[in-house]
Amino acid sequence: MIAAIAEEATQSLILEAKDVHKWYPNGFHALRGASLQVQRGEVVVIMGPSGSGKSTFIRTFNALEDYQKGAIQFDGLPLGNDLRHIEAIRREVGMVFQQFNLFPHLTVLQNLTLAPMLVRRRSRAQAQQRALELLTRVGIAEQAGKFPGQLSGGQQQRVAIARSLCMDPRLMLFDEPTSALDPEMVREVLDVMQGLAADGMTMVVVTHEVRFARQVADRVVLMADGEVVEIAPPETFFTNPSHERTRRFLDQIL
Amino acid sequence: MGNSVTRELPPGSLQRCKDWLRKELFATRLDGLLSLVLIGSILAALFGLLRWALLQANWAVIQLNSTLLCIGRYPIEQQWRLWLLAFLLAATAGASWGLLRSCRRADRPGLLWPRNDRIAAAVLLAVCLIIPPALGLSIAIAGRWLAIAVLLMAMRWLLGRIGRRLGADAIKWFALVWPVIYLLGMVLINGGFGLTPVASAEWGGLMLTLLQASFAILLCFPLGVMLALGRRSSYPLLRWGSVIYIEFIRGAPLITLLFLGQNILGFLLPGGLAPERVWRAAWVLTIFAAAYLAEAVRSGLAAIPNGQMEAARSLGLSTAQGLQHVVLPQALRVALPVMVGQFISLLQDTTLLSLIGLMELLGTARTVMANPDFLGHYGEVYLTLALLFWCCCAALGLGSRALERRLDPHHLPNLR
Ligand SMILES: Nc1ncnc2c1ncn2[C@@H]1O[C@H](COP(=O)(O)OP(=O)(O)OP(=O)(O)O)[C@@H](O)[C@H]1O
Ligand SMILES: [Mg+2]
Repeated sequence: MIAAIAEEATQSLILEAKDVHKWYPNGFHALRGASLQVQRGEVVVIMGPSGSGKSTFIRTFNALEDYQKGAIQFDGLPLGNDLRHIEAIRREVGMVFQQFNLFPHLTVLQNLTLAPMLVRRRSRAQAQQRALELLTRVGIAEQAGKFPGQLSGGQQQRVAIARSLCMDPRLMLFDEPTSALDPEMVREVLDVMQGLAADGMTMVVVTHEVRFARQVADRVVLMADGEVVEIAPPETFFTNPSHERTRRFLDQIL
Repeated sequence: MGNSVTRELPPGSLQRCKDWLRKELFATRLDGLLSLVLIGSILAALFGLLRWALLQANWAVIQLNSTLLCIGRYPIEQQWRLWLLAFLLAATAGASWGLLRSCRRADRPGLLWPRNDRIAAAVLLAVCLIIPPALGLSIAIAGRWLAIAVLLMAMRWLLGRIGRRLGADAIKWFALVWPVIYLLGMVLINGGFGLTPVASAEWGGLMLTLLQASFAILLCFPLGVMLALGRRSSYPLLRWGSVIYIEFIRGAPLITLLFLGQNILGFLLPGGLAPERVWRAAWVLTIFAAAYLAEAVRSGLAAIPNGQMEAARSLGLSTAQGLQHVVLPQALRVALPVMVGQFISLLQDTTLLSLIGLMELLGTARTVMANPDFLGHYGEVYLTLALLFWCCCAALGLGSRALERRLDPHHLPNLR
């Protein structure tokens, strides 16, 4: 009985980072034993002051940054130096960047079909059909033939989200997806993300959007100086945090 | 199909022309004086050149040696192979041109016969009508040149019409025709496969120049890209190897490398493996050009933000796929103008081959000028040479600009 419950628990665990340390090549100790567990279907929001290592931490989850100590597991697969594991995990983990990073030489539709055709070996027709579905879902199907440079920032970021979704990821990472946007475009991107969460997507989101964290997050994480200081449900996190560091951070942003 | 679109000058254009002249050239008294002096000296120079070309120059030296300048001492009874090659090249070029024009990009409508194309077609036909009689070529040969021009335009017209139905993939597949034609051309020139072999020592003139330049351009491109990637690689051996190669080659003048190649390759490679002189020179040119091309490509790579590769990798693409589909297409577009500049100087560098005794354009010209019958006609020969080189370089430049416009920079965001 207890064994069954334990197994249930480990099965629903999708990402586990344990005591991760990272030194940049210049010797800077950016992560100092950061740990995080993400359950399937959960939305985790990471907050923290600038330079606290949020980007570095989230980028270790799909091996865009390496780490020197600790362990990260995705769905039971260890994420170390094994290139095959890294590539297998990247296929299942989508990432949305602050700067969108759309491919400017390809049309919106080509941006969305490139990876499914190359990596998942889908036919062009299949890939295009799925791409159009997802573009409809993020509300910009009519822009499929345009180039990224012809879209507004908010539209570009929605394309970037759709591009990640085309790979049918099991986990989505967002690194400050709205920080490069004009204020009037933030809402449209957050709405798409909220819709994703409602559909049960597992998401780890680095953001400064308090309203989004309150409404959508299951748990909110505070990072400071390369460490995870506090993990709590949004209610507790914003009204009654248990750490002094969190209180100071909230004083600054609220 | 829009080829009937004419541009009507708005009314009063003569007036506008006058206004423009007044504003741009004769705004102040000093401007006017300067303009008059400059226009006067340009006209005088042109007039002098024309008078020399039409009245004093003796173009017989070019007329009598036109075949020599074109193909060197290629045996007469085998020349049909070169004609065949010329026809094939014209057909392929015309087809590519038409295909490129017919497949518009989705976001931008384009004319099937834009004005530049109509001008190019007119110039081509005019050249083919005027030059052969001016060179005193026989009717049969003049007819062939005309036929080549007509074939080119016919293919341009045909593929322009049916290209759209073939779809965008047709362009990709058609690009593969070029290497095939190139190999076929090698066989036609060289002989073999049932054709009588023609020793490379007998190749010469413009043909040899173009052969050397195209060989080096085609091969230095992949080599240069690999060197540029190697220079940025995370494998130390690859990186150091590329750096040493690039810096060593760039540190030596081409002429020393050419002499070195002629002498050393013979020792390095056993007996029959050492290529003939012509090919040794072609390889040295390739190796030389690759080092410079690598630097051009590297500057292109540096212009592409890291985020592009990160996005590709995070989508599950391998490094190779990310390079092939995401980074290189953008980097090469950025580097295109510089690369074409290097191709143009490579074409001009082939004249150095005359110093190691190859009969390319300049080498052939020098033998012509050394012929006692034509002593003292340097002006005519060098002017012809200059014009030939200028035409080739202009073609490269125009082609690259068309390509650049096609790979529109407008869509590239500001580089971060
Ligand atoms: N390539 C690098 N080399 C050396 N140090 C780096 C590098 N990238 C980041 N750092 C340092 O690591 C620390 C954490 O950086 P990180 O980008 O993860 O912070 P962040 O929490 O995402 O901040 P922000 O909110 O500004 O995005 C910072 O102090 C930064 O200066
Ligand atoms: Mg960051």
